[in-house]
Amino acid sequence: MKLDLMKRNLKKELNGWWIISLVGAVVILLPILFIFSTIFQEPNENWIHIRQYLLSNYVANTLLLVGLTGTFTAFLGVSLAWLIAAYDFPLRKFFRHGLLLPLAIPTFIAAYTYRTMLGYTGIIQSTLRNEYNYQINPELLSISGIRGAVFIFTMFLFPYVYMITRAFLESQSTSYIENARLLGQKPSAIFFKIVLPLARPAIVGGTVLVIFEVLGDYGVTSLLGIHTIATAIFQTWFGMYDVNSAMRLAAWLMVIIMGVFFLEKLLRQRKRYHLNNKSRPLVPVKLKGMKGIGAFIYCGAIFLISFLIPFIQLITWAKMTFTKVWESSFFTLIYQTVFLAVIATLIILIFSLVAANVCRSHSTFSFAVSKVITSGYSIPGPIIAIGVLALFISLDQWLAPIYKSMGLGEAPLILSLSLVMLVAGYFIRFMATGFNAIEVGYEKIGMKYTEASRMLGLSVTKTFFKVELPLIKGALMSGFVLTFVEICKELPLALLLRPFNFETLATKTYQYAHDEQIYEASISSLLIIGISILSVVIIQVLGKRVK
Amino acid sequence: MKFPKLFKPFLVSAALAIGLAGCSAQKTTTEEEASGPQKAENQEVNIYTARHYDADDEIYKKFTEETGIKVNVVKGEAEELIERLKREGESTEADLFITVDGGVLANAKQNGIFQPVSSEIINENVPENLRDAENNWIGMGTRARIIAYSKERVSPEELSTYEDLTNEKWKGRLLVRSSTSLYNQSLLASFIELNGEEQAEQWAQGIVNNFARQPDGGDRDQAKAIAAGTGDIAIMNTYYVGLLANSEDPEEVKVADSIGVFFPNQETNGTHVNISGIGLTKHSKNKENATKLIEYITGVEAQEFLAANNFEFPVNPQAQKPELLESWGEFKMQELNFDTLGEHNKKAIEIFNKTGWK
Repeated sequence: MKLDLMKRNLKKELNGWWIISLVGAVVILLPILFIFSTIFQEPNENWIHIRQYLLSNYVANTLLLVGLTGTFTAFLGVSLAWLIAAYDFPLRKFFRHGLLLPLAIPTFIAAYTYRTMLGYTGIIQSTLRNEYNYQINPELLSISGIRGAVFIFTMFLFPYVYMITRAFLESQSTSYIENARLLGQKPSAIFFKIVLPLARPAIVGGTVLVIFEVLGDYGVTSLLGIHTIATAIFQTWFGMYDVNSAMRLAAWLMVIIMGVFFLEKLLRQRKRYHLNNKSRPLVPVKLKGMKGIGAFIYCGAIFLISFLIPFIQLITWAKMTFTKVWESSFFTLIYQTVFLAVIATLIILIFSLVAANVCRSHSTFSFAVSKVITSGYSIPGPIIAIGVLALFISLDQWLAPIYKSMGLGEAPLILSLSLVMLVAGYFIRFMATGFNAIEVGYEKIGMKYTEASRMLGLSVTKTFFKVELPLIKGALMSGFVLTFVEICKELPLALLLRPFNFETLATKTYQYAHDEQIYEASISSLLIIGISILSVVIIQVLGKRVK
Repeated sequence: MKFPKLFKPFLVSAALAIGLAGCSAQKTTTEEEASGPQKAENQEVNIYTARHYDADDEIYKKFTEETGIKVNVVKGEAEELIERLKREGESTEADLFITVDGGVLANAKQNGIFQPVSSEIINENVPENLRDAENNWIGMGTRARIIAYSKERVSPEELSTYEDLTNEKWKGRLLVRSSTSLYNQSLLASFIELNGEEQAEQWAQGIVNNFARQPDGGDRDQAKAIAAGTGDIAIMNTYYVGLLANSEDPEEVKVADSIGVFFPNQETNGTHVNISGIGLTKHSKNKENATKLIEYITGVEAQEFLAANNFEFPVNPQAQKPELLESWGEFKMQELNFDTLGEHNKKAIEIFNKTGWK
């Protein structure tokens, strides 16, 4: 009798969780399906032109860019994560957090900053010219082309890999690494034989985020003159005025990405990654002498290039243009940016928790669901924006009778002129950052606590709040920071989906940067960076207090 | 492209979810200043604009001060805003659409998002060649696409026309930005209209053959590359020369000082200009206010303000130009129907891709 009741309860609650994730998945799916629907349309002459002149070249560029950036970010991210998780050296504690800071700088701002800094009027060339009367060949310092783009993407996106991998190593690999150390394995053997295979889901998760970001990017690549698939998408839309062909291209891009996912999934199919030891922090080994200094120099150099130098440069520019650009309305911008980002992040995290919990069953179906709800990250922002816009305008038209009965006028636009549309856009675009972080958290704890709790009679929901939530708190926090920072930086959705008179710091930055006025853009860029840093600090402090 | 009927049931659940999710967001913001246009009071005008300039905001502010009409703005990318207007259809709240570039304006017109404006004041303010033939949009400022040259290494006598830039003598000396730039697309589109497709393609090929380097950076970067000695001449907009000359960075001012501005094709068919324009949307709900705003923007005061702060040539012949623009003297403008720019834009891109102008 009791057992029957339990079964029924179980069914009921499972359905509740399922329904929430399904509804969320539908919200995400609709605009994406809308984009996909273009795949089946008859190809027109623009599409034929694209295929004839552009596609092979653009695909080659994209693959090269993604391949190189992926390799370098994985290398940087994993090596830094390993150094900081397993060893102790001067300023390690500082670097542990400091190496996350590059994420706070939007990549297109980083590209503009480095480009201007290394350019003809930049500090290096102008100092050489004015002080030493030496004109260096500008090509030597040029960061244009693939070379420059790989540099910018690697330097400002590696923290994704670093963050996720470090968190994993610090808490999950302890017993394996300590045993290996006890058994006298060399550090290199530990790294290659234990760390790399163990941390694979974390490394892949982080690198995938980087690759998504690179695939959807238009700002950096167009500035540095590289034509990728995203360029083709925009050229088709903005130059040939052909939205449908643009969406078609985006849809194909998504198909390819999903293919890669399934491949990766196949490759690691039967391997189980949750480890069965108690999560005990890894005790770092002190690096002595030259080794310690070497580690310090490595971390220091990367911190310098990926954060400190551009940061200081932005500050000097901000000083230069402060009187011209600063106005009290910046406070409103700060408020609006933070407000919007907090709301959207919370919604994303709540839904990620539910969906990730549901998707733990590891069935092919749940895998598909999880990939679908995170696929928004891989589509160029403006394309998502069009999908969301189409959805909301249809929704408004469809709800028109209700609006009318509420006395809001004939066929008004209510939802599509409110912030709801923009929040929904963020929801679709940034599920990946929240969901991936939480998914890693769930993978880390595995099923055993959940199973034990359920065996002892707690319901799914109670198990979630009493057992799982405290265990994945860390993942939740990194998910919050990642998503929050992403939304603060986000541009294309904010541009197209915002209501009247709504500005964020990112749109303000764009206003100037778009017009090649990087000096004027520095103040709002710095504010984005400041807010992001603050969010990291607050989360850290909160994290400590909760402990 | 509406959603198929099949999706309707999904829409319901989606609506619920989004409604729930968004409630909190909406409530708080409508209290703040992010509130959309209000229905009750009609003392406002709503703008979708692809121009992101502080100077424009200043003009809206002044307009509100003078008339009491509130100006609500959404800034975005031109093509995206056109798409938004198209999809919003009759429901749209936008009264005006503003953008840079004749090709885009022509495209907007073709998409049927405009209606003609009729106002004697506007007709007086703006000469006929700087408006759409049916007044679907009205010019508000222009920038000339000129040849910038190194004062040190090039004498202006060596320069004559755009066509001459394909001459052997400029081999390895010519700088220009990427073909993804709208400015280059419109330039080539104008040549397709004036000289025919074949000539235009030959021209583009000739330019590519004379590149000092692969296209890199924006218009300002071309000027800097002249200063750095990478090349000797560049195709760029007067607007950016103005920005450089008025930069907070002394190094940029030096760059501006080192280059000369040459208006090509003065003996032939005139210098190509990029025009910014305002159009009244087809389903505008505040037509009168919108017309007033166009009248205001094309009026002498606003035109002088734009010229002084945004380095654009005024469309209103009565407006005084600032010193820098004045110093370049009068010039003959390329005469063509702006509609043709929109028509040829696609062809232009095809030619760019064919000739390898990156």
